[in-house]
Amino acid sequence: MQILHKTNLEALERARMLGSDGVLSLLERKGLVGRGGASSPTAKKWRECRDTPADERFVVCNANEGEPGSFKDKLIIRHNAETLIEGILIAAYIVGAKRCFIYLRGEYDHLRPRLQEQIADVLPRANLEGVSIEIVRGAGAYICDEATALLKSIMGFRGTPMYRPPNPTTEGLWGRPTLVGNVETLTCAAQAVLFDDWDANLRLFSLSGNIKNAGVYEFPLGVKMSSVIDVARPQRKLKAMSFGCFGGIMPVDENMSITPEAVCKGNCKQGNYSIIFIDETNNVVDISYSIAKFYTYESCGKCTPCREGTIRILNLLKKIRSGRGVKDDLQLLRELAMHVQETSLCNLGQTCGNHVLTSLEHFPEDYEAYLARKK
Amino acid sequence: MKMEEKKDNHLLMNILHEAQEKHGYISEQVLKQISVEQNIPISRLYGVAKFYTMFHTEPQGRYVVEICGSPSCILNNGVQIEKFLEREIGVKIGKTSKDGMFSLYKTSCIGCCDEAPAIRINGQPHTKMTVERVQVLLKKLRTAFKKKKKK
Repeated sequence: MQILHKTNLEALERARMLGSDGVLSLLERKGLVGRGGASSPTAKKWRECRDTPADERFVVCNANEGEPGSFKDKLIIRHNAETLIEGILIAAYIVGAKRCFIYLRGEYDHLRPRLQEQIADVLPRANLEGVSIEIVRGAGAYICDEATALLKSIMGFRGTPMYRPPNPTTEGLWGRPTLVGNVETLTCAAQAVLFDDWDANLRLFSLSGNIKNAGVYEFPLGVKMSSVIDVARPQRKLKAMSFGCFGGIMPVDENMSITPEAVCKGNCKQGNYSIIFIDETNNVVDISYSIAKFYTYESCGKCTPCREGTIRILNLLKKIRSGRGVKDDLQLLRELAMHVQETSLCNLGQTCGNHVLTSLEHFPEDYEAYLARKK
Repeated sequence: MKMEEKKDNHLLMNILHEAQEKHGYISEQVLKQISVEQNIPISRLYGVAKFYTMFHTEPQGRYVVEICGSPSCILNNGVQIEKFLEREIGVKIGKTSKDGMFSLYKTSCIGCCDEAPAIRINGQPHTKMTVERVQVLLKKLRTAFKKKKKK
């Protein structure tokens, strides 16, 4: 796997040789884009942070990977943390930051002692004067995946998202320009700087669900779904697949080539490829219900449509599953999901209805089955 | 993002984690102490402690058991594990057992989807759970708990 290639501090050395502008144009040429979900060009973000006048800048590595079905960052932290740390140091060198943070999600706290050791090992050898990397321990808030919420959490506040602009790149931690990068992006940045044959097209796929070979795999963008299924080895005939929680539940189309556009018709910019496979023994409504529970649990409560809407969606699904549902509930569910998506502030609210809308569109028979099961 | 905070402040998240590790949970007493030390209003501290699910403002059991509720775990018998744990420990989700041994919670994805179903006990993930494995695990914890009590 390309992501596991180690750079052994040679990437930082090369970055020093190329200089700040050299590295940025190299990353631009190689086409590195953010892997957290937004797919924005990395060089542009780094340049914006560097060129904003300020007395201090910060680099933050977002290791708050909370998307259900996604566990690629864990693989990197476990097996290639040295390269990740080097990526953070390169970013710090480019934008001129002294204080760097890794926001490690609470669920990955068991990885922290080793990560701390690796930071202590790499940092002195990197020879960057005054640069420090601190681990900030998350505490189970998925919403802190969102950059502004994450920064508020680091500053010791409730992790609720903020209005943009200003973007964190120009006004982030304590009002200073802050570069927020995903674990995969920063690791790729170090590798892109060092390796001439680095392939910008490879993405990490987290595969899980009713399959034998669950795990993290590397595939090029545009890979055929049939190749992914071959690797995944489903236990039984597949019925549906869910792209994380936010991508929605869709029928399995073996001929589909996996690109952000194909995944959700370009509505969601997919930088994070996690696929949960669902086989024919399951009712899609049950999965939708577990996703609704997740959103209810993780909504930060800042804006009303999301806070109340997620609860209402969950209650409606509960009613349908208990056999007390009526046909009108489906229409209500659809309207509710659309309303929450249109009126919420951040990505969580804007995507929390996807699983309902897609499952209603593609698997109406599963809902009908519950409606028919009158109590 | 202009917060009133001075930038040389210590990282509150880490402070709260350390306090919880030391005292078992974040009590009012602890919050008052942090409030004085860090010069942060206690109302804000309480708001932060309540916001994050991993911070507890009530006493917890010796073993905090969290069951992953992500779709991958549900698809791999997660519900069966959840029901079994509830029955075996004898408390509902969100409650602590009377003997103070277990607290049972449900959590969002813990990133172990490749080894589903998964649970976490005191922060350590346990994966590929089956009813038999849960039984063995609980037996081990119960023995350790009794030994500690005797001491």
